[in-house]
Amino acid sequence: MDISLLAFAHILVAAAVCWLNFIVIDVFFRLPEAGGVVGATAIGKHIEKGGGALHGGYMMGNIVSSPDASAGTLLAACGVFIAGIPGGLLAALLVYIGNRICHDPGYAGTTGCLTATFIISGFTLIGFSPAEFIAGMVIAILTIQGISHRHSSRLLSTLWRVRRG
Amino acid sequence: MTPQEAALAVCGIIAVYAAVRVALEPDTLRKLPFFNVLSFAVAGSIALIIPHPLSIIAAAAYFVGSTLESNAIASTYAGGLDRRE
Amino acid sequence: MNEMVILAFAALIIVGALLTIKESDPFRKLISLGIMIGGVIPFIVDRGLLDVAIAVALIAPLSTIFTLMVCGRGEE
Repeated sequence: MDISLLAFAHILVAAAVCWLNFIVIDVFFRLPEAGGVVGATAIGKHIEKGGGALHGGYMMGNIVSSPDASAGTLLAACGVFIAGIPGGLLAALLVYIGNRICHDPGYAGTTGCLTATFIISGFTLIGFSPAEFIAGMVIAILTIQGISHRHSSRLLSTLWRVRRG
Repeated sequence: MTPQEAALAVCGIIAVYAAVRVALEPDTLRKLPFFNVLSFAVAGSIALIIPHPLSIIAAAAYFVGSTLESNAIASTYAGGLDRRE
Repeated sequence: MNEMVILAFAALIIVGALLTIKESDPFRKLISLGIMIGGVIPFIVDRGLLDVAIAVALIAPLSTIFTLMVCGRGEE
């Protein structure tokens, strides 16, 4: 009982770390600026029609329609869980290939995957398991894409305004 | 309960939640972010079920495949198929 | 996989199948079919058939894209 409570507490900490990693990298690589493909733009406009903010909607559309830093963080966690740091590097290569398939330059996904690999293998030194980071990343994407599109797109738009200065 | 089992349970619960939200969403394009949450949960649980080197490739293949599917559905719904703006 | 996770993925398959029957718009039918495939793949992986899982994960979106070419909607 005690050990499972510890695992769930670790999952919550891991969710916060993953959330910061992928949001910082996505906003740094200007994902909220515009939709990368026609579908991402359309998703952003539909989210705005439902009461959200336009630039946050563009970023959510970009996350849906090509593997960005969030996918990089998830696959890096899977790679580190299975094979340590080499697994994370293999995951970065796979994310790059996936980005090229989806007509994307692929900087955000690959960078997110590499930083997440080193962050996660650093956290394993202080008693975290990489499996907790897989669940943490799933919770982190749930808070952005899965609870309330209106509130999360407004939050992302605020962050984009801060980034643009 | 080991960390692996706890993580797998979290992934399963979130996958079911995302499927229910997809079912209840009236707007077709706004279904896709919920579907994206579902594919994150399934890709994570592929790696958690069997820790084998090939399952990194399986998780990446499933994830890229479902992203490509969402991309194609959204682009076709909005206009041309996969045309860059 | 323990019982709870098996139940969760089985629920995914059932929800996807019922939703595919219920919806009438082709785009919504394809999204529901995606939910069903997402529930099937963990069971394939659980038996250790990783190569089959990779093949299914690549073939399912390709068949969706071919279906989309048939039912393309375009700008109204």
